[in-house]
Amino acid sequence: MKKALFSLAMIAILLLSACGSNIGGKTQLSFMMWGDPAELTVWKQIVTDFEAANPNTTVSVEVSDWDSYWTKLKTLLAAKTPPDMFAIDAPLYLDYQSKGVLLNLQPYIDANPGMLDGLYPQTLQAYQTPEGYFGLPRDFQTIVLFYNKAMFDAAGMAYPTADWTWDDLRAAAKKLTLDTNGDGKTDQYGFSFDMWDMEPGYSEAIWSYGGDMINADHTQTLIGSPEARQAWQLLYDMTFVDKSVPDSNTSGQYGGDTFLAGVSAMTPMGHWSVPGYADANLQFDVAPMPKGPAGRYTSVNSAGFVIAKGTKHPAEAFSFLKFVLSNAGQTRLAELGFACPVLQSIAQSSTFLQQKITINQQAFLDALQYARIKPVFKGYDEWASAVGDGMAPVWRGEADLNTTLDEVVIAADAVLAKNK
Amino acid sequence: MEFGIKPLGRERLWLWTLLLPTLFGLVFSAFGSLLATIALSFTNWDLLSSPTWAGLKNYIALFTDAKFLKSLSNTAIFSAMYVPGVVIISLLVAVLLNRKIRGIGIFRTAYYLPAVTSAVATALVWNMIYGKDTGILNYVLGLLHLQPICWLCTSHAMVSVVIVNIWGAIGEGMIIFLAGLTAIPREYYEAAMMDGASLTKQFFKITLPLITPSIFFQTLMATINAFQAYDYIYMLTRQGQGDSNIPVVVFSIYRNAWYFGNYGGASAQAIELTVIVAVLMLIYLWLEKRYVFYE
Repeated sequence: MKKALFSLAMIAILLLSACGSNIGGKTQLSFMMWGDPAELTVWKQIVTDFEAANPNTTVSVEVSDWDSYWTKLKTLLAAKTPPDMFAIDAPLYLDYQSKGVLLNLQPYIDANPGMLDGLYPQTLQAYQTPEGYFGLPRDFQTIVLFYNKAMFDAAGMAYPTADWTWDDLRAAAKKLTLDTNGDGKTDQYGFSFDMWDMEPGYSEAIWSYGGDMINADHTQTLIGSPEARQAWQLLYDMTFVDKSVPDSNTSGQYGGDTFLAGVSAMTPMGHWSVPGYADANLQFDVAPMPKGPAGRYTSVNSAGFVIAKGTKHPAEAFSFLKFVLSNAGQTRLAELGFACPVLQSIAQSSTFLQQKITINQQAFLDALQYARIKPVFKGYDEWASAVGDGMAPVWRGEADLNTTLDEVVIAADAVLAKNK
Repeated sequence: MEFGIKPLGRERLWLWTLLLPTLFGLVFSAFGSLLATIALSFTNWDLLSSPTWAGLKNYIALFTDAKFLKSLSNTAIFSAMYVPGVVIISLLVAVLLNRKIRGIGIFRTAYYLPAVTSAVATALVWNMIYGKDTGILNYVLGLLHLQPICWLCTSHAMVSVVIVNIWGAIGEGMIIFLAGLTAIPREYYEAAMMDGASLTKQFFKITLPLITPSIFFQTLMATINAFQAYDYIYMLTRQGQGDSNIPVVVFSIYRNAWYFGNYGGASAQAIELTVIVAVLMLIYLWLEKRYVFYE
């Protein structure tokens, strides 16, 4: 039954996208993205602004949740009826770019000299290929340390500072791990991190201990190096020795994000979680990621957008991209509060720095100074699964850390070899 | 299958008229996609670029891919627990509800409710029940001075998921069995009671033999459902980058097709699943001829 409904929905989408194009002499563009319903509202606003400036073009926006977005997108691409423009996550970009389904934007960028000047260079880097840009960033995410102010206050502890090391974080996490009702079970954890995706948590730890995720030409997985193992050991010990981090069986019963559930006191996280944490009435703020023996590191990743190679209206589609990167478009995105604007002038303006949710927004921008780019390479999805899913038994407390790392590196390298 | 009533004359016209929409859908959608899947199973296809010929590569992988073999054994274990569970429990529920007591409608509705409720929503509720520290089930175990169980840890996840799947399927099984039970003539029971047969004896000597067609049908349906089980498993055991700690075959198909750019391999896995179910159906039909009793 569900399958039937799904196919019906697919057919409806195909039919809807098949018509369109030129209605009443106007060029009709479609834009598909993942996101929240709140994001749809803002994107509709951006579209209204764009249409006011370009009366001959209309844009329809479709928003899906993360998982169904990629399924839908791949179905439409396979059916050769993709939306004119669609959102892309930087790590997955090359998987699409290398398959030849994206339009080369370089000629259009060349025709608009200076259009990329005001953008943060770290966010552009992920989209550069030897043949030029096939996509552009629309906003970026750096990872900072979120902390629950109420929990620190209750413990009479000072908030995390820029001087913190991972050892300081570990000590604080221990103190913040509490059994408040004395039933022998932990009710509050000091720290939590995403145990599957490298971005909010373990890539930061590995880098600051002098390790790396993958080598420069993407042929070798490096998460098993002695330096990286120090970082893994730290996170492992915090979880299973100090027990100041919930293991994945425990965090699962709180829906995954224990910081959101008000159960953990600190977590490395990106700006996308800010609206959700505010909605959950958490009293929180953010601090820079702690320093390790090799220095302070965080991760920068960007959401971008691309134009389908088969679009009938490449010029109009590009003008929409250009509009989103303009002052007007970036201001709207900044107001949305899910990410940081890629346009420096807007990111450093009061629109972004003084939002309704009053947290240290500057920390997200400062993080760029010590951020490394979340790796972008072909076969990322399968590689990330080999690593994230491969490590899962460790975080459930069912497997040994070092032997699992040995196995995961072999499996991940096999994926890299296959995608060469 | 032998039926007592054969359609005649005008009935036959109506039979085909009413079957037509279903047949149309079957031929043009189900059959078409089956053919397409067979064709794609011989290709390398990542959905984005054109498919290329892969020969038997995807079929060889069915025997060598450790991850797939693991999912195949998980599906087998799941089915071995699920099918008898659903058939026996829903038959018992149907027998208990096949009587005239006050509020019988409420009970029947309650048992049928999971069948019409979104699996995603109920799985979230089951997540709360199964929670290691916060779950209702472990709270109850605590009250009984029993050790808490980590229901969704790898060691217990299979049993926990089978329980939820059975719970979700009792309603549909119950309907089938209730229909079968009401078709058994009352006189048989009256005669048995006159002869002093106990309720247990009545169940084994009258109900069970006369309900074999329903049992057969329900076993068949439960087997098909067992091999396609996905939603509760996905909701309760998903973790990491989307993997499960008890991945089943449908899980493997989904991951390969949509995440790993391996649509051809996923198609081969789907074909293998179809063949396994088809072989089981043939065995069932053979058993039916021998053991199922049609009045």
